[in-house]
Amino acid sequence: MTNSPSDLPATDEASVQMDTYAAAVADAVGALSWSTNFATVKVVVAPDEWVNSLRTAKTDLGLVFFSFLSAIHWANDVEVGDPPAETVDERIEVLAAVGDLTDGRLVHFSTALPVDGAALATLTTVYAGANWHEREAAEMFNIDFVGHPQLEKLYLPSEFEGHPLRKSFPLLSREVKPWPGMVDVEGMPDSTEPAEEGDSSDAETLPSGVSTENPGR
Amino acid sequence: MTLEQDALKHFSEVSVALELQTPDMTLNIGPQHPSTHGVLRIVAQVDGERVTDVKPVIGYMHRGYEKIAEVRTYPQITALVNRIDWVSGFANEIPFMAATEKLMDIEVPERARYIRMILTEMARISSHLMFMASYPLELGATTPLMFALRERERVLDLIESVTGGRFHPNFNRIGGVKPNAGAGPSQKKAVQDLPKGFLQAARDAMDELLSTCDQFDELVTGNEIFLARCKGVGIMSAALAADFGVSGPNLRASGVAFDLRTHTDYLPYDQVNFDVVTGTVGDSFDRWQVRLEEIRQAAYIVQQAVDQIPSGPLQAKVPKIIKVPKGEVYVRAENPKGEMGYYIVSEGGQGPYRLKIRSASYSNISVIPQLLEGVLVPDIIAIMGSFDFVLGDVDR
Amino acid sequence: MGVVEKFGIPKPISSLLNWSRKYSLWMFQFGLACCAVEMIAAAGPRYDMMRFGIIPFPASPRQADLMIVAGTVTDKMAPSVRRLYDQMPDPKYVISMGSCANCGGPYWDSYSVTKGVDQIIPVDVYIPGCPPRPEALMDGIVLLQKKIQAEDMREKWMERDQQPV
Repeated sequence: MTNSPSDLPATDEASVQMDTYAAAVADAVGALSWSTNFATVKVVVAPDEWVNSLRTAKTDLGLVFFSFLSAIHWANDVEVGDPPAETVDERIEVLAAVGDLTDGRLVHFSTALPVDGAALATLTTVYAGANWHEREAAEMFNIDFVGHPQLEKLYLPSEFEGHPLRKSFPLLSREVKPWPGMVDVEGMPDSTEPAEEGDSSDAETLPSGVSTENPGR
Repeated sequence: MTLEQDALKHFSEVSVALELQTPDMTLNIGPQHPSTHGVLRIVAQVDGERVTDVKPVIGYMHRGYEKIAEVRTYPQITALVNRIDWVSGFANEIPFMAATEKLMDIEVPERARYIRMILTEMARISSHLMFMASYPLELGATTPLMFALRERERVLDLIESVTGGRFHPNFNRIGGVKPNAGAGPSQKKAVQDLPKGFLQAARDAMDELLSTCDQFDELVTGNEIFLARCKGVGIMSAALAADFGVSGPNLRASGVAFDLRTHTDYLPYDQVNFDVVTGTVGDSFDRWQVRLEEIRQAAYIVQQAVDQIPSGPLQAKVPKIIKVPKGEVYVRAENPKGEMGYYIVSEGGQGPYRLKIRSASYSNISVIPQLLEGVLVPDIIAIMGSFDFVLGDVDR
Repeated sequence: MGVVEKFGIPKPISSLLNWSRKYSLWMFQFGLACCAVEMIAAAGPRYDMMRFGIIPFPASPRQADLMIVAGTVTDKMAPSVRRLYDQMPDPKYVISMGSCANCGGPYWDSYSVTKGVDQIIPVDVYIPGCPPRPEALMDGIVLLQKKIQAEDMREKWMERDQQPV
């Protein structure tokens, strides 16, 4: 997917093993695709297959440990932060990480939902621990987990409006003042503007005070 | 037996056999309560002294980490993540650093990795000592608090001598660790390292710590009242723990020998010897025992690490302005509270596009309603306290 | 109107009263976030806060004179903080400990954090730091004790009467 050292044809034994494992998992759950970039095993499944594939993972593949469930809002227009580097398909990507408790393997299951009316079957029937994680994702991303026993707000007060981790959610404090530390800063009369960051960003330099050859003690 | 005695005995038997009518009552604990470790609220339905249903209410410490991380740069986030699990600040930085370094393909110098390992284990010790202080206190013993805090200060002194901070060091840099506090760029290279005498001081402190652990064994572990309060209380099966994502000492107390330190390579744990401590029953007492033993193991790790620490640079070469290449990575680490991981989605900018923080306490306490059903009211404290959660780690 | 409001308390009596009050401040056990750990450390064996006459025992606001807001106050927690403050008997003092309680600190742009506890309760002493070291907390306590020593009962009572209920 991306050009990174780990994307090059696997050379060492560990990454070959990881690729084999990811392919086997993808095969067992009928996945759409898989990747092992940066030693992170990710298996993409269809939304309809979400619960079934995770049930297979738990019962057949021994991935009994429920690590986390969360989501990513892929949007081209963002209120805060940087937009994606390239234009992306607007979607909500749900991630569930499950692992085993013997070999230290962890597989991220991923599925894509539409931004409007995102809905997915609940995982609480497979992993009881998904309960709170789904409540969190529902609150933060406005995802409807169909069949969830108690889809209420988890973190925020009940009168809170909006879904904070949606990219369309603004941070109001930032709009009032970009950074409160700026409050008293006024440039010296004859100081020049600080150099733009682009000037030195490519240089392979070290942060100030860092030495490359430390003799140790 | 006289007639009166006979009648009295009969009467007492009758009154015991009689079902007492104890209508359901809602008991609200928190958000401010000395035994909930902070601002956790628990709404319990009780029938007499029995708990029938428990609803934890969290979010009183929700600070919106994942959203504000989207408007911060990577070095700024390092300062933030210290404050997630605030009793083991240093350990929180490690998986974030490891994830960023993985995305940037930076090889951290071996000496920096060792320093990270030493300080991570010290953070583990200080976190577990906080548990040693608070758990007996919640069960009614005040002396262990003083013992543990005294020992914790000793460990914090060591951390402070290296990092300049007591428990929010913000000491890691992408590609290594910060040069010694106070050593500015104009200083000689020789002082930009561990402070003089640190290694010997660490060795000595760990010896002292090991003897304090023995004191704890005598003072608390064998205490009749303590045993009565936590033996056989809050038994969690391994399957239940896995289902809820309970990790760390809580999982190991249920008999699962799973420790991420032996499975991942984020720090050079393969070069030191330590035991993965497990319990047998999975009750509150096992969770205490596992943590006490983990302090000892952490002390052994520190002692081995200070003997083996190689010399060399503290920082890899990194660009002056950190821009992380596009990619997605998840790195998890064995933190004092359990599995902590960061799922970083980078789009090539100076800050992440999305940062998912997987914190241990969140999953750990999500299992508590299951364990509290049917227990007695005083056991709520004995069970919850044994999970050693931190509200900042729960709510983020 | 009582005698105190009319004529005030004679200086020797008032300073004796203040002197006795400032060395027996019962501190409400109220930890919110990271700063609470430093507060515990300050009460621990090395820093030993009790030698300043701070007694960190009451777990209920109704027996406390001093509330140290140690940590981040979130919008969800803010009503409870206010309520706890209201439950404390007069005269009562508040120390705001750490950047979060002072102004929001590192979470200044968060959607769920109250930017400063002084938006909901009056604060006597602010302690900067993230988190402040136990020494800083003790310095704040000494400052508060100085403030109590200089207090005039009459003003304090008048002030209280003027507050909206």
